[in-house]
Amino acid sequence: MGESSESAQPQLQRVQEFIAAFQSLRSEVRKVIVGHDEVITHVLIGLFAGGHVLLEGVPGLGKTLLIKTLAESLDLTFSRIQFTPDLMPGDIIGTNMIVEDAAGRKQFQFQRGPVFGNILLADEVNRATPKTQSALLEGMQEGSVTVSGHANPLPSPFFVLATQNPIEMEGTYPLPEAQLDRFIFKLRVQYPALEELVEIIDRTTHVREIEVHRVMTGPQVMGYRELVREIPIASHVRDLAALIVLATHPQWERAPEMARRFVRYGASPRGAQALVLGAKVLALSEGRFNVSVDDLRAIALPALRHRLILNFEGEAEGVDVDRLITQLIDEVQTMSGAQKEVFLR
Amino acid sequence: MPDPIVLERLVSEVGKQVRLRRAEFYGLRGLFAGAVLALVPLVLRELLGPPGLVLAGALLCAGFLVGAIYGLALKVPAGDLARLADRGYQLQDRVATSLEWGARPDRTPVVDALVADTAARVDALARRRIIPRLLPREAKLIPLPLVAGLLLSIAPPIPLPQGGLPSFSVSKEDEEDKPKERAGDMQSTDRPTAAKRDPIQRADLQERNMVPRSGAGGQSQPGDLSAVFKDTSLGSKAPDFNSFLKKGDERIRMLEQVDRLPDLQQDYTQRQTKVVFQRAKALRGGLDPNKKVSPEKLRELLNEMERLGRKGGGNNWSGDVSEGMEALEGGQTDKAMDAMERALSKMRQLEDRGRDGKSLKGGREGDRRGGPRGGRERAGQGGPGEEGDFPEGEGLMPGKGKSPNPKGDPSQRLRGNPYDVGVEGESRQGKKDGLDTNMVGRGANMPSRLQYLGVLGQYRKMMEESIAREQVPRDFQTQVKEYFQSLDEK
Repeated sequence: MGESSESAQPQLQRVQEFIAAFQSLRSEVRKVIVGHDEVITHVLIGLFAGGHVLLEGVPGLGKTLLIKTLAESLDLTFSRIQFTPDLMPGDIIGTNMIVEDAAGRKQFQFQRGPVFGNILLADEVNRATPKTQSALLEGMQEGSVTVSGHANPLPSPFFVLATQNPIEMEGTYPLPEAQLDRFIFKLRVQYPALEELVEIIDRTTHVREIEVHRVMTGPQVMGYRELVREIPIASHVRDLAALIVLATHPQWERAPEMARRFVRYGASPRGAQALVLGAKVLALSEGRFNVSVDDLRAIALPALRHRLILNFEGEAEGVDVDRLITQLIDEVQTMSGAQKEVFLR
Repeated sequence: MPDPIVLERLVSEVGKQVRLRRAEFYGLRGLFAGAVLALVPLVLRELLGPPGLVLAGALLCAGFLVGAIYGLALKVPAGDLARLADRGYQLQDRVATSLEWGARPDRTPVVDALVADTAARVDALARRRIIPRLLPREAKLIPLPLVAGLLLSIAPPIPLPQGGLPSFSVSKEDEEDKPKERAGDMQSTDRPTAAKRDPIQRADLQERNMVPRSGAGGQSQPGDLSAVFKDTSLGSKAPDFNSFLKKGDERIRMLEQVDRLPDLQQDYTQRQTKVVFQRAKALRGGLDPNKKVSPEKLRELLNEMERLGRKGGGNNWSGDVSEGMEALEGGQTDKAMDAMERALSKMRQLEDRGRDGKSLKGGREGDRRGGPRGGRERAGQGGPGEEGDFPEGEGLMPGKGKSPNPKGDPSQRLRGNPYDVGVEGESRQGKKDGLDTNMVGRGANMPSRLQYLGVLGQYRKMMEESIAREQVPRDFQTQVKEYFQSLDEK
């Protein structure tokens, strides 16, 4: 046992480092952002899971500020694109320009666009045309962009944080399902509570400089991403994740009644990946070396809510996707026998 | 690799608890079964004597023991035990993951840390019973057979019934009589014999008096095929099966002529236009005046209406639907709503037109006549209330042409049509070939050429146009629409 403890010591140390880094990053963001603890935690989980995060909320709730503060806390390059209807793909990716060298010869040279940054804030992403939105697709999935047949790798880590406004729908282009699926989480930014609002007023209307420190570097982020993938998951927890994703499909023969009635399309396999990776980061951030069923439940809503497409009946009845997912998970747990008295089986 | 022996020990302890609980559970079930069985020897105590009591006690004990042994012998998968331990001690799946991943060759260095962490936590645990006691449903019923058994054992033995079954065997006296009978052949002729039965049952004896079906002349039920013949000469005839056997029935021949059959289902099935109406109603219903329909839902409905228009052909609402779509694209939801209302009213008029007429219309006939009629509509001749049922020179004008409508008592037919009921007023004197509403003046002397539903459609259209054109307050709009809707429901 003593020997085994020694072999586990470096891992314990790595995990302790991660927990400390995670907490310090969170506290840096909290210096500026009041409340929104769950949103901050989920953004950080998305960062360490290696995904991209979409934040949805009405204007003025601090979405953009949260992302800017996170970028300031990380020693990474940050670029911001304000999406507008006249934005073109070249404005994001970059373009080939004719330049003249010392000998006077003219040649094409690729001028990088703002997408070549570690942290990319795509503000009001649904205001740009689908053509421009799709310019982000390749970068988000492959980590590279292709211009004139030449693939240009994006810097690592590459983390897209997009925001969208759910109420001003006039003149917007809702994100296509293919692009929504590329976001690991969709987070809903809610109105602050009374105490939080009071704190926001105090913090922002006084002459006080809030200094945010850089607490993590790019290589550190990449190292933690690898550590996350080493976290083991028990087979029954993994099976439950797969069952949850399958239960969102109305075509599945064992699909719960709710899914059959209200869902048109269920979550993709990316949903299952997001569920498990997110649960791993959550477990690690809480100092655990394994994924539990509770982690899956905690991550299910941000990981799946944008992957479920309701049918006409679901839309007409005003079905809340979050509640639907919660009910589906309950049914799946009953179905898998997790809540039965195991000793009688 | 950390030693997972602590974890295995924990799992083994949980396994013992599980076996104990299972033994209790199945032991109680067995006890109930044994108690019920023990009642049998107690009831038969008079027959069995004192060993009956011993047998009852033995059955009781045997039931419990068999159940308990069965519970102990059942296997529990190690994975399930680990999960039970995790749940019981709130270890968040640590034990199950450690045991599963500790044995895997592809384990990561983090697994070692996990096993060490879990072992440390398990070491620090205060052991307790984590498997709750679960009683079977039968446990509540155990006192019943026990009390019954106790009463039976205290009470005097129940006397068993002594009477036997009556003997049906032949007595010796009868046996002796039989040879005598056999001996006298001549006497046997004097015995009364049963009348000889006719083995062949004559067909004429089985023939029954067939009563005409209720649907032949009166009100027909949906799905009642007799409605097919109700306006024909066959309607009042009883089926003659003898003649059918010889030369076949005219009904069968009529059924073979599919083109001439009326489309009985036309008014009863769920048509696609009705689905659109229902959706439109659901979309508009329950909205407060300040709340607007979302553009997505409106677009979906308009799409469906457009699809329906493409599919049906010969419609006149496509223009309104296109206009609505354009308005929606331009963000003018109110204008799109108005266009949808207009399209709906046109669709409703088309429906009404389909329902018009005095009796059920031949399905294929309707289709055949649809072409030229549609052509007339396109040419702009005739309004929705004027065209259709009574063109000039035919129909119900007395002495003019041959009516294509089925003959017979019109009142019977009108009762059969669910859409022409509820028309009130004083009926005109004289022969009535159809339903009319003109009671006084010129209309009293001649049959009306306007049908109730057609007129209603016209008025509805006028109402909707005036609502769309003029600034009528929303409350009044609702009131007027509800009035017309109530007329529809009549």
